Amino acid sequence: MTTASPSTTGPAALAGPAAAGEATPTGRGGSAGRRRRVREAVTAYAFTAPAVLLFAAFGLYSLGYGLALSGATWNGFSPHWTWVGLDNYLDLLYRDPVYAPIVRSAAWHTLAVMIAVPLLVVAISFPLAVLLNSARRLRTLMRTVYFLPFVTSGIAVYLAWQYVLQPNGAVNALLRACGLGTLAQPQGFLGNPDTALPTVIVVMVWTAVPVGTLLYLTGLQSLDPCMLEAAALDGAGWWRTNRSVVWPLLRPITAATVLLNLREALQGFQTFLVMTGGEGAPGGHTDVLGLASYRLAFLEQLQPTLGLASALGWLLFAVAVLLALLNLRALRSTA
Amino acid sequence: MRLDFGRRRLLAAAAITALAAPLAACGSGSGDGSGGGSADAITMWTFKAAHVKPLEEAAARFKAQSGVTVKVQAITPDDAYTAKLQSAAKTKGLPDVLEVHTLGEDLTYGGAGMLSDLTGKVDASWSGQYVQNVRTAGTVTPELETASKQPGSAYPGIKAGARYSVPFTIGAFGVVYANKTMLADAGVKDTPKTWEDLIAALKATTAKSKDAGGITVGLAAPSTGLNWMLHQLSYGTLGKDGYHGLFAKGAHGWNSADGKRVLSLYDQLTPYWTPGSQSLKIDDADRAFAQKRAAFDIGGTFTLAGLEQFGMKADDVAAFAVPAPKDGKAAGTGLAPFSLTSLSVTTQSKNPDAALKWLRFLSQKDTAAAFAKAATDIPAADLGADASAAGTAIGALSKTLSTGADAYDSSDHSFMPAQYTSNIDKLGALLTNMSPLKQASVDQTAKRFDELVTEYWNAEK
Repeated sequence: MTTASPSTTGPAALAGPAAAGEATPTGRGGSAGRRRRVREAVTAYAFTAPAVLLFAAFGLYSLGYGLALSGATWNGFSPHWTWVGLDNYLDLLYRDPVYAPIVRSAAWHTLAVMIAVPLLVVAISFPLAVLLNSARRLRTLMRTVYFLPFVTSGIAVYLAWQYVLQPNGAVNALLRACGLGTLAQPQGFLGNPDTALPTVIVVMVWTAVPVGTLLYLTGLQSLDPCMLEAAALDGAGWWRTNRSVVWPLLRPITAATVLLNLREALQGFQTFLVMTGGEGAPGGHTDVLGLASYRLAFLEQLQPTLGLASALGWLLFAVAVLLALLNLRALRSTA
Repeated sequence: MRLDFGRRRLLAAAAITALAAPLAACGSGSGDGSGGGSADAITMWTFKAAHVKPLEEAAARFKAQSGVTVKVQAITPDDAYTAKLQSAAKTKGLPDVLEVHTLGEDLTYGGAGMLSDLTGKVDASWSGQYVQNVRTAGTVTPELETASKQPGSAYPGIKAGARYSVPFTIGAFGVVYANKTMLADAGVKDTPKTWEDLIAALKATTAKSKDAGGITVGLAAPSTGLNWMLHQLSYGTLGKDGYHGLFAKGAHGWNSADGKRVLSLYDQLTPYWTPGSQSLKIDDADRAFAQKRAAFDIGGTFTLAGLEQFGMKADDVAAFAVPAPKDGKAAGTGLAPFSLTSLSVTTQSKNPDAALKWLRFLSQKDTAAAFAKAATDIPAADLGADASAAGTAIGALSKTLSTGADAYDSSDHSFMPAQYTSNIDKLGALLTNMSPLKQASVDQTAKRFDELVTEYWNAEK
């Protein structure tokens, strides 16, 4: 199988060598050649134009609008914005005695999610992928079963989790039936301030493990079997082979899995919105930055807080870019 | 296969057209029934799903009378309604009529120029059809205009004297519902009349059923505990002046002995919340009560409609206002009804005359009575001696209401800092952390309440 080099992709390549300024094979050149080059270039740009237009309409415009909004106060309805410069950022970070404590609390919760979710996803996905890869029987069935949480993810699943985690829900009933009543939560797993956030983290991990496992499986199947055979010939057992050969070779996949889950942990809020409500019940103990941003935009009873929501979004964006850069650096050093 | 250039160009043009078509569809237009109606048709949006069917029944009678068709659409939940209106306003897609929260969206949308000013159109013969104390609901007072100029106001741009809505449904916050059967099973013979009675009844019902004998409300929306229980309890305990004193500028009322006393009374509920109330949404809590997973449910007059939707019969429920303690200074004064939802005509309506006729039709006594019966909601129209026409449930609910001068009025915010009501969920979360979560003491909660109220006052010009 051949692989395309970067130079064989992109508009210039689509337009062919003529568009890249090379002499035509026929060597005719002249006005006919120029017309053909122009036609082909126009065709190439015509095909890329829709994507560019869509990005301009929904990407650049939204980015610019959001950036401008982060420097204003507005409730989404009044005809005029009130410009406040960087006040929204400063209010969120430390200055406003109403919003800054909420953002601080949400930031700690978000940090906990950002640490726990990627770590747990990797800790579960990698061994699961190794086991699934080595399964001889019912391999397809097992892969399907482990991938189900991803296929069925969505609002309905989060609602279902909410019901089974209630005080009289299935999880408590199961624990009591198994003689583990001391682990049951009388207030429900989402009602106890000490268990609410860990419980949502578990649900997020449950949702993310299938993709992590799939990525690791792909990596495992692309490994050169010679390396594994060499390790076996050198006397490495199953544990040593996976720890010292497979795990280091799959480090780029680990980095990608961690980055994907960091992004979701940083910006995602839908799990929290559905399972614990817009205020991060109980009593704000599951409030995270993504949820706070959504709440400032849509749940502040028409107060002019859309600018605060946008500013918080940009702060999250800055953190996401920082994490991406760190991840890129880590990948380069690994390479 | 090699395509010749002409065919490729055609293909490219077709691709661009196909991609651009949906973009064009994003522009203004009224393909979904929005954007105003024709001469003989209008559209109406509401955030209350329970109002759709009763409104459609009213619309059928309106069509027979006037020839105008009314298309009613519900958009829920509230945040989706807000987002829909935001986008519709931008794309000239607003309907002719909106149902809005009184002293809420009507002011915000009115200040933004989205709603028609009804001043001069709602004459005395029209407003005279409403119950006395909501006849001017929807009209901007000088105090509201002053508040609108404060930083952080949710309704900039409103002008005193303008009227952006007419009342549609009325009611009050602070109604406690009790399951009559569960009370009887626990040996509670009378409906609680004092706070001490309520706590004693809760003690009896939870002794009978530990997990299902308590009280509930949807504390996942944390303002409920504050706005539907603590405020009323504070008013009944301290009287009108004492209650207003909790919010007085510079008085640090919440951190005073009075503030701590009412918070301590509220804290008496802590052992009696049904498990998980702190993570229930409002509808979930109502459903739990309707399914006998709680003996008491806190809400407003509007809660009964939800309970009936969840299968509970109105006759199985005892409803009473949040009671004051025995030595309370405003015991038994009742709840003052205020306009809960209103109706507005948008400035984008293509048929404002028909929209106005529809609003006036809904204010008529017989129409309102039929609506009230179908929706189990209290209409703003004065049903007078014909109140029984709205059904027994409405009659029972009406007993919690009072038009006396000392009645607790949830709609009176004149003594609070302007930002208090908009930020009520933040204080509600603090209250939830005290009860039922036990994460903060009464003293800590009182101090934090005081800090926030002080901050809201300081934010004012």
